[in-house]
Amino acid sequence: MTAVLAALAAATLSQVPVIEISNANFRPMPLAVAPPIVQDPGAKAAVAELDESLMFDLSATGIFQLLDRKSFLADTKEGITASSINFARWSDVGAESLVKTQVALADGNIRADLRVFTVATGKEDLKVSQEMPPKDARRLAHALADAIFKFFTHEPGSFESHIAYSRSAGGNKDIWLADWDGRRAMQVTEGGLNLLPAIGRDGASVAYTSYRSGKPDIYFQRPGSKPASIVKAGQMATGAAFSPDGRRLAYSLATGDNSAQIWVAKADGSDAKVITNTPFFINSSPSWSPDGKQLAFVSNRGGTPQIYIMGADGSNARRITFQGNYNQTPDWSPRGDLIAFTARDERAAFDLFAVNVDTGKVTRLTQDQGNNEEPSFAPNGRLIVFQSDRAGAWHLYVMTTDGTTQLPLPEEKGEYSTPSWGP
Amino acid sequence: MQSTASQSLFFHRRDPFGRFVVISLIGHGVVLAGFTAFSLFATAPAIDLDPKPIKASLVRLGVKRDDKLLPRKDEVPPPPAEKPAPAPTTRQDLMHALDKAKRTPSESKDDTRKQLFGAFNKMSKTAQVEGAPDGSPDGDSAVQEGERYWAELRAQVHRYYDVSQTIPESERMHLRAEVAIKIGSSGQLLKVELAKPSGNSLFDQAVVAAVKKASPFAPPPDTLRANLQSSGVALDFRAL
Repeated sequence: MTAVLAALAAATLSQVPVIEISNANFRPMPLAVAPPIVQDPGAKAAVAELDESLMFDLSATGIFQLLDRKSFLADTKEGITASSINFARWSDVGAESLVKTQVALADGNIRADLRVFTVATGKEDLKVSQEMPPKDARRLAHALADAIFKFFTHEPGSFESHIAYSRSAGGNKDIWLADWDGRRAMQVTEGGLNLLPAIGRDGASVAYTSYRSGKPDIYFQRPGSKPASIVKAGQMATGAAFSPDGRRLAYSLATGDNSAQIWVAKADGSDAKVITNTPFFINSSPSWSPDGKQLAFVSNRGGTPQIYIMGADGSNARRITFQGNYNQTPDWSPRGDLIAFTARDERAAFDLFAVNVDTGKVTRLTQDQGNNEEPSFAPNGRLIVFQSDRAGAWHLYVMTTDGTTQLPLPEEKGEYSTPSWGP
Repeated sequence: MQSTASQSLFFHRRDPFGRFVVISLIGHGVVLAGFTAFSLFATAPAIDLDPKPIKASLVRLGVKRDDKLLPRKDEVPPPPAEKPAPAPTTRQDLMHALDKAKRTPSESKDDTRKQLFGAFNKMSKTAQVEGAPDGSPDGDSAVQEGERYWAELRAQVHRYYDVSQTIPESERMHLRAEVAIKIGSSGQLLKVELAKPSGNSLFDQAVVAAVKKASPFAPPPDTLRANLQSSGVALDFRAL
């Protein structure tokens, strides 16, 4: 109305009237990813993997609407340079941006040349060239996806990061370490009951809880190496979490007749200090704030399990969830603004929620799709991995932080649980 | 001492009920006769069967208004002092006055016709009146029409104001671009130009695309037609 009045006022002064139009409708960008041009037939298998991973990465972001390849036919004459592309054709299928890739073999590696164009203007926006061994075709795709994500959002992508999880098979539960999309998975532990992994700062090691000694203890291990015990004191040590700088480890430990308390130690388990002091109440599931100065954790000191935050030295503990009577497994976003957690709602279903640390506002992220638990943020805070039994058995899913785009991660036999997203 | 015989259900006693019934019947008969006689000889007051209902509603007293805002009683201006008609001075004036005096009592045929057509004219004029009954007596329909057109234009462009979600939230707050457009008499888009780019090519493309997709627009009202064709209108787009 003000805008209209302003326009009228301007009109009466015989100037050009101005109409203000605000509140744009933000929607995923229609993006066409042309099938990669394969220059060497020997690279075909690697290119198929690269293409599949690139498409999955881009679709998981939630900011792109990937156009169905059935809606456009690949023109074999079209190259990856602007002069060879018929942009009118891409515009006709509704694309606003176009991704073109060309893959060739070079000195035993596969080399990918990727271009991103604005369809309306035909302008080349991004040009990336990378090469890797053919076995790392998926990793190459993640690097390309990160470059595209960074070009559009000016933020780092998380596609070269890793997830760890517990996977059941043959009566055992083992820890696995995989690329963020669940591909290229490597088994870390062999046999026994192992769960609650946390990825080390190098992205190639895992701290986890194992019952191999008959009671839960915390171990540290790289795939292919032997486990190292880092917390074996007390009756029960669980839920290890590395600080953002990787130097400290927070965990929950029950000693003597006391309930479990939060402890903080050096990454190798030495110099451990207890930082909570509620002997009659349980404190568990610590998660670090991105600056490493605070911890989110679960405590039943108020009567029911609720999410609390406190200084990394145990000072100033305060409760931040007040709705529901069963809130647990907090994970602090690397962006700092949100803490995602699992809550049992009024219908006794477990679902994911996020609480804004500053305002205390709680947002529901999942609903009416089985039970959803154990959220873990991507290193850039834009995606969340979690476990869900929506399709029957427990499997891993990934979603945007507002819950709008949810995709299942590829799965093999067994049930997947307690995922953790790390570097 | 009472005998047991007097308590017996079989002992016959004199019943006072029959006498009471007779007296009661006589009493009722007298009252009934009295009412009948009254209704025959007395006239009943007329009853209005269609009275207008009296409605009363309770209202809360508002804030006391300033005295100067209260409606004031219109004071009738004092009648102007009657001036005596100036005496005709010249011969022409005299003739004119005489002519007027002659025409006043009886109207000529021409006057009758004029009056008749005048009535039709009045009727047709009444039909042309637009606007709200409580609107400005000076008329503001052109302003309203213009305002409505701008609002429609704004709504139509906003419908197609789709911006890519890839634009980071931190940047959205500052994004602003101006598009200059010219609109033809039938609403067609004559010219669209990015007058002030935002610096973000995705946003700039989105605002130009929004205008193009929203066209053609409704034909502009008469009051805006020339201006929209010659100098056009500027659309100031903000992302948030």
